[in-house]
Amino acid sequence: MASPERISFRGGPQIDMPLLLCSVAIATLGIVNLYSATSVYIEAGRRAGLADIYVSQVYWLVVGGLLAILAAAIDYRHLERLAYVFYFGGLVALMLVFVLASDIRGSARWIQVGSFNFQPSEFIKILLILVLAKHLHDDARTEPRRWVDLAIPIVLTLVPAALVIAQPDLGTALIYLLTAASILFMVRIRRSSLAWAGVVAGVSAPLLWKYVLRDYQKARITSFLDPEHDVTDTGWHALQSKTAIGNGGLTGHGFMQGTQNQFGFLPDQYSDFPFAVFAEDWGLLGCALLLALYCFLCIWAVHVASQAKDRFGAALAIGVGAMIFWHVVFNVGMATGLLPVVGIPLPLFSYGGSSLLTMMVGLGLLMNVAMRR
Amino acid sequence: MSILVQRSDVGEFRRRYRWMVLAVLTTFLIIAGRLVQLQIIQGDQYSAQARRNIVREIRLATRRGVIRDAYGHILAASRPSYDIYVVPSHLSLERTWPRVVRLLGLSKSDAEEQRVRIAELSKDPRRREHQVLLAVDVDRDVVAMFETQEMELPGVDVVPVPVRNYPYGETAAHLVGYMREVDPQDLMELEQRGYRSGDRIGAVGVERRWESYLRGRRGSRKSIRAMRRMTNREELEAKYLEEPRQISPIPGRDISLTIDIDLQKSVERAMRGQVAGAVVVVDVRTGRILAATSKPSFDPNVVSGGRGVEAVRDAFRRLFSDPLKPMLDKTISAAYPPGSTFKPFAALAALQAGIIDPSTEVDCHGGFEYGKRYFRCTGVHRHVELHEAIVQSCNTYFYTIGANERMHIDRLAKIGLTFGFGTKTGIGTNPEARGRMPTRAWYTRRYKGAFRGGFTLLAAIGQGAATVTVLQQALAYSALANGGTLYQPQVVRSIETSDGTVVQEFPPRVRRQIPIDPKQLAFIREALHGVVIERKGTAHAETVEGADMAGKTGTAQVSHVTPKGVDPRRTWYFNRDHAWFVGYAPAAAPEIAIAVLIEHGGGGGKHAVPVASRVVRDWLKLRDRRIADHEPARDAPEGEDGT
Repeated sequence: MASPERISFRGGPQIDMPLLLCSVAIATLGIVNLYSATSVYIEAGRRAGLADIYVSQVYWLVVGGLLAILAAAIDYRHLERLAYVFYFGGLVALMLVFVLASDIRGSARWIQVGSFNFQPSEFIKILLILVLAKHLHDDARTEPRRWVDLAIPIVLTLVPAALVIAQPDLGTALIYLLTAASILFMVRIRRSSLAWAGVVAGVSAPLLWKYVLRDYQKARITSFLDPEHDVTDTGWHALQSKTAIGNGGLTGHGFMQGTQNQFGFLPDQYSDFPFAVFAEDWGLLGCALLLALYCFLCIWAVHVASQAKDRFGAALAIGVGAMIFWHVVFNVGMATGLLPVVGIPLPLFSYGGSSLLTMMVGLGLLMNVAMRR
Repeated sequence: MSILVQRSDVGEFRRRYRWMVLAVLTTFLIIAGRLVQLQIIQGDQYSAQARRNIVREIRLATRRGVIRDAYGHILAASRPSYDIYVVPSHLSLERTWPRVVRLLGLSKSDAEEQRVRIAELSKDPRRREHQVLLAVDVDRDVVAMFETQEMELPGVDVVPVPVRNYPYGETAAHLVGYMREVDPQDLMELEQRGYRSGDRIGAVGVERRWESYLRGRRGSRKSIRAMRRMTNREELEAKYLEEPRQISPIPGRDISLTIDIDLQKSVERAMRGQVAGAVVVVDVRTGRILAATSKPSFDPNVVSGGRGVEAVRDAFRRLFSDPLKPMLDKTISAAYPPGSTFKPFAALAALQAGIIDPSTEVDCHGGFEYGKRYFRCTGVHRHVELHEAIVQSCNTYFYTIGANERMHIDRLAKIGLTFGFGTKTGIGTNPEARGRMPTRAWYTRRYKGAFRGGFTLLAAIGQGAATVTVLQQALAYSALANGGTLYQPQVVRSIETSDGTVVQEFPPRVRRQIPIDPKQLAFIREALHGVVIERKGTAHAETVEGADMAGKTGTAQVSHVTPKGVDPRRTWYFNRDHAWFVGYAPAAAPEIAIAVLIEHGGGGGKHAVPVASRVVRDWLKLRDRRIADHEPARDAPEGEDGT
């Protein structure tokens, strides 16, 4: 087992500096932006209540950092052995949500432990990556796979996805599916099986629309497709977010100066739309920097995967990279009006302990693989 | 790609990495492209939208000018109407709404209907911040209750809105006018002049003609609008609001009319027994209109919206379906055959042409044979000279003039035009009828070349195709009374600022000096006096005691076409002739001219004379009282009204 003292030993695990620096940079920008996003709530010059949440975000970041170090320090091959245990533990926690959940904004996602609210669906993202990596690790093949060869990973993905859809939390389910698909993209699949997958997706889409999606979820999609005739809050939010981003222009209004945010026109600006706050404050130049950092992180994850010692490490790195990638794509796509409004957090930017810890543990795992190539 | 050099054999995975990197780069480039689109290409657009989000421009109401009569009586002024609005996002339907319902005394069904509407609006993020109108022109007591309970009624606003008030109601309504909401169709054009949807604009009369003076200019105030509470509002306003942050409203100009409301009232009193008609009284020395009435009238308070939108709709439905046409300004917008009131002008034309002299005598046997037709007279007048012909209104005398080969119909048209008939007077308050003085050319055009001498005979007694307006009559008789000066009619005496400073005055304007032989004119005027004072005069019997006046009666034949929608039992009314009396007073030294038209009044002597003579009597009393009280008309030119 790797101990922290061995990290700096030549020939032993080496800290991956680009990954570390990139992560620290994003996390720092995230805190700065959260400070700006919540400055709306300053009252009589004092930060309190919501204006104070950036402090808790810093605490979470510290806790997340420690967890990341832990996740990086333990050789990932130990995790490989425990992957299924973790996964089923996670599923149990997810099911507990239905029993113990505290209802927040119409959907039950949280479990209260002491004074903390945990969101098991967030941590499942990591556990799903681990269990899929474990499966692919054990199931090495060279010939293209058939449909049934992928039955196990598909079931492993669909079970938690179905559970979170029932919460209902469409966004998280989407992340599960896309992350799993990204991992499975690494294996070779028969053409005919791919065609079948397409047919199944085509048939299930209308069924999903009819039986799974709730009215508010449908409204979000119709409002995205037809923004002119939209009078729902969702369309309003999307419009205000686009306005904020456009208002940023090339150089932005400066830190805590964006009017859309400062005058309260941005909804959920610290959870769903932190990117709009950032874009309004820092303009296209700031956005370019932030996107470049995220882009680098995703490509670096592919790089780490390509140099991993084994299939488990490679799949793990791709899984973490894909998780970050899809979060960024959906959150920024939503803020810029490219995609419908789905509550998917922006990694290291959106306020929320569970999300932040998940991302930090993910980055720790990526570091773990990077250190042991 | 150098970063993808593989160190370990992971089998099938190897071939996928390049594709993944490509997919990531492509996706981020798409996002970057979208950002360029939003922030650079459409950046200005979104910045403007963001600015509109936070800056709210409140329009500050201005005060519409007051309209007064010549003696300072207010004819039209604006009073505040208190309207109740609610803001759906701030209104609690559980706690506040029931109180509002109770205060306004809404019925159960109304209250429920409004509640549903507000609940609906409060779900719409774009509209829930906007005020919703709940009640118009709420009683003062209710307003007081709303204001004392203001703190317990969040989301409820009491908004004072100026409403036009006409203290004299139907009196002179056509002339003063009324207000209407701007039409959506006109809005495109009116927006450039600063009108907005929901604004009011003068619809007819002085309110319309002098709209640009009366209206004033709205002000505006910019303020910051935030979705959340702000503590440093001043600081933010200084930062985000462009100068000027406030533009003060400019109140409208006040307008003093030439109308004497006391005389106007006595005119309407005199008309009380009549169904429909019009009266105009002008000052013969200035052309100023002292009174003008058109009957039936309407209440400008109602049609201007002072009693609510429903009342306006009901009133218009009723007014526009009435066969007596209450909305028509019969003093200028309609033209009628002048009948015998045209005879003095026909006589002048004949005198000027040398066809007759005052002693020319005609033997009236009750009619005149011309070609194959027999033209009837009003009676058998025997031997009449011109004086008797006018006094007794003998048609035969004028047929004889018309039949003279030297009397051309254009001669009659020309004298009519000289006295202002057949042309618009340019008063401007309401759409004006031109009237018609038919010439030979007109008849030739109209009857396809078959001009007949009989047309001239009819024209000489004021029948046929000739038409005149009531105002034209009053002005033409003014010219007879003042020795031949045809004035431009005036309704506005002066324009003042709200503190009473006169900005513009309107001195009398002469339209034309008509060349008339004073001897001939004196002769005509003597005859017109005879109409009233001589025993055989057509106006003598009906003239009330104390009405020192001269003038001419007339009966205008009506084409027997009954308007649509009239009860068959009432067609007899619409088949009756119009009755005229046009004259001036006092007979010896005229100061006013009066034209009275009673629609379907039958004979002029019987129906128009009592009205005219009562007005003259009242005017004489009024004049004497004013002289005694030293009450000059406001800003009256010196030497007028006895000062």
